[in-house]
Amino acid sequence: MIPKQSLIEIVGSENFTDQLEELVPYSYDASMNVHRPDGAIWPESPEQVAKIVQLANEEKTPLIPRGAGTSLSGGVVPIQGGIIVDLSKMNRMIEISIENRYVRVQAGVVCDLLNRELAKYGFVFPPDPASSSVATIGGNVATNAGGIKGAKYGTTRDYVLGLQVVLPTGEVMHTGSYTMKCVSGYDLSRLFVGSEGTLGIVTEATLKINPLPRYAMTAVATFSRLEDAGNAIFQTMMSGILPSVMEIMDQVTLRSIKENTDIDLPDAEAMILTETDGFTWEEVEAQMEVILKIFKKNHPIEIKTAKGEKDRVNLWKARKSAYATLARVSNSFVLDDVTVPVSRIPELLIGIQGISKKYDIVIATFGHAGDGNLHPQILYDEYDPEQVERMEKAEAEIFHLAISLNGTLSGEHGIGLSKANYMSLEHDPVEMALMKKIKKTLDPNNIMNPGKRALDDRKESNERANSI
Amino acid sequence: MRGQIQFDEKRQKAIAQCSRCGFCRAVCPIFDLTKRPVTNARGKMILLKELMEGKLPATEAVAQAFLRCTTCMNCTLNCPSGVDPQEMVKQARKDFVRLGMDNLFRTMAETMAKYGNIYGEERRVDWGHKKGNASIVLFLGCVGTYREEESVKETLQLLDILKVDYTLIEEVCCSGVLEDVGYKIIEDLAEKNIREIKKTGAKTLITTCPYCYRVFKDHPAYQNLGLELKHITQFLKDFNFEVQTQKKVTYHDPCDLGRHAGIYEEPREIIRKIAPNFIEPLRTRENSMCCGAGGGFRGSFPKESVRIARNRLGQIIEETGADILLTECPSCLHNFRNARRQKQRIEIYNITEFIGKLYQEKDSFGKEPA
Ligand SMILES: Cc1cc2nc3c(=O)[nH]c(=O)nc-3n(C[C@H](O)[C@H](O)[C@H](O)COP(=O)(O)OP(=O)(O)OC[C@H]3O[C@@H](n4cnc5c(N)ncnc54)[C@H](O)[C@@H]3O)c2cc1C
Ligand code: SF4
Ligand code: SF4
Repeated sequence: MIPKQSLIEIVGSENFTDQLEELVPYSYDASMNVHRPDGAIWPESPEQVAKIVQLANEEKTPLIPRGAGTSLSGGVVPIQGGIIVDLSKMNRMIEISIENRYVRVQAGVVCDLLNRELAKYGFVFPPDPASSSVATIGGNVATNAGGIKGAKYGTTRDYVLGLQVVLPTGEVMHTGSYTMKCVSGYDLSRLFVGSEGTLGIVTEATLKINPLPRYAMTAVATFSRLEDAGNAIFQTMMSGILPSVMEIMDQVTLRSIKENTDIDLPDAEAMILTETDGFTWEEVEAQMEVILKIFKKNHPIEIKTAKGEKDRVNLWKARKSAYATLARVSNSFVLDDVTVPVSRIPELLIGIQGISKKYDIVIATFGHAGDGNLHPQILYDEYDPEQVERMEKAEAEIFHLAISLNGTLSGEHGIGLSKANYMSLEHDPVEMALMKKIKKTLDPNNIMNPGKRALDDRKESNERANSI
Repeated sequence: MRGQIQFDEKRQKAIAQCSRCGFCRAVCPIFDLTKRPVTNARGKMILLKELMEGKLPATEAVAQAFLRCTTCMNCTLNCPSGVDPQEMVKQARKDFVRLGMDNLFRTMAETMAKYGNIYGEERRVDWGHKKGNASIVLFLGCVGTYREEESVKETLQLLDILKVDYTLIEEVCCSGVLEDVGYKIIEDLAEKNIREIKKTGAKTLITTCPYCYRVFKDHPAYQNLGLELKHITQFLKDFNFEVQTQKKVTYHDPCDLGRHAGIYEEPREIIRKIAPNFIEPLRTRENSMCCGAGGGFRGSFPKESVRIARNRLGQIIEETGADILLTECPSCLHNFRNARRQKQRIEIYNITEFIGKLYQEKDSFGKEPA
């Protein structure tokens, strides 16, 4: 373990803590995992980060890079103890270059604050995780965050031009370039995007930005049969139109919203919310017309459309309240992010309903139908061991189901601790071995966020929520 | 070994309700300043969870952590899971006191009991206006009375100009704040206030301080007040004023008036009458950021409190470019005035004070044209 005094020499005593009451909040994220760190540190510059990492590497002390701690996978839970490196104070927007279409920001910049600044110029950093009011760019990069507009605008990966990274051995490295195109050398930025803090600490990112579309139109359709909704989705995706939003909510979600809010909803097996956007009304309307035609062919209960900001907000209400409503009706929940090819969405939804019945546990599913990324939210009580067991079994079966449909364990939240045990379901032994080799090459002493993603051979005794 | 905090079923459920999403980071004034997770609502909900599960001992340091909250309620309104963290914080403060871990407000309670105000002041400015009988009692509160005397003076003059039939009383501290910092309201003080108010035969009680307003409205000790209660913005909203300013004016919603009492419209109705160039900050109404003064925070952490006010003031200036910042809370006013840097041109007033000043300027302008 690094001597405390050495860390204080780097950052000053006001930027280090080992006080119990401060370490307790650092033992958690938004998942059910928990473990105490030994300390936490708030570096204020890349040089400080480099010094901290050098020391940690010498002393073989685990370091856990942390942004806002909104990880849903246990990604920032220090399962082997060590020092939390909190990047919140490195929150400078270094350069906004509209003419060259990029921004250069420190890792601790909050996603929404960046976009508030960019909006002044009519630009946007498109990846929009639901946690964007607090999530940091470093966290977005490390988890390859995506969001509601993923189908049209992609995920963080599509916007990273270059990175400044402190490697696990303490050297500072710059990847990528400031240009829109670059094939110079291996694309090392990509290796770090989605690496969940296991390969180094991202201290700065150069990100591509887009002009903000000026107009958007919204439509909501409800369907009495899930199959019809599924057909409407993939027919839209085949139509040549790329909606900016294509969200689906299942019956359990809709019922919960209906019963617990004053939002009026028909009795439906599914609801789709969609949006088209563009730079002229004509463009936006023409796209929507195609989608509405497809919806109408698939036996909807009703369709509502909206153009004005106020009406659009109204149509968004149900979707926006989904997570909160479900969070309020149960003591505890896990929020997963399995993703399948778009045409397999109905199978995934029906399969999840079967799993829900089998384990007699409420699973509400909603998510980004346009890119096949669904969020089954499993409701249970963490203080009832029998319910915990059923939840875990149901979750495991959902993972198996997604993989059997050619899908993935995680579309955007990452593997972290929660899904580490399932890595071999998705990745063959050759790929797993190469991942471990890469990790070992970059991080010979396994100090960077150890214990995550099944990369070290040591088996973690991570007993959800009570492993201290 | 010290005792344990009790967690009944209702409280257990409220603690388990926090999903640790961290969304409260975006709105907590203390976290915004410190970037330390223990200072925001999630941090405190996690401390409570571990106290409840018996993983974290109830120590002085943990008690101190619970003092780091202005009870601004911004987290409550932005929590997707429906948690009311500041209510849980206030409850925890009481628990720690019960376990024998007194905080600095114990002395304040003693001061209040002895002097009838939070500062231990022995005398206050004599503004006159003690008619005894009137249809309205005006209650000023400690911060205005002892720390923002000039502001109070202007407010009183405005009421005179508007020919309001009011009287001041021999008021003592409403003492409600003690409930927020681990202690109990002082019944003797409440009774004295009720006696004084009733003596006047008034039908209406008006407070300038939004916190006093809340205490009179909600605390059982004032249940038998038996007269109509209004915050001064509610009372003045239907008046017409013969003054206006062309300057750019903005408004800061005090947490106690806005989120806690739901009074957002009335101050705006008044401001629109006197300031055609009224502009809202970006973070306003329900989303207004706290000035850092409330919930005993200024008392416990005076330096951090002023730095928070400085941040909020900077935010308002950047977002609005206003010449005048109005609010209607003596605590916000006091904290902002302390925080204002010399080079910042913005002037800061309570609404009523500002209108009083406009009347005065109009008068002196009429008498001796510049
Ligand atoms: C209610 C809710 C809704 C969400 N919705 C979405 C969504 O729509 N889309 C989505 O993609 N995600 C979503 N998430 C998940 C999460 O918000 C994202 O993964 C986000 O990008 C994490 O950012 P953060 O700053 O909180 O990172 P943290 O949670 O602090 O960290 C996440 C991971 O990144 C690593 N990390 C953080 N900063 C750095 C750095 N500077 N260098 C190296 N590694 C680093 C950490 O070690 C950890 O492994 C949601 C979470 C919640 C609670
Ligand atoms: S208090 Fe509410 S907003 Fe904060 S972490 Fe808990 S659930 Fe999220
Ligand atoms: S009430 Fe205000 S100060 Fe207290 S935790 Fe919530 S947001 Fe922070």
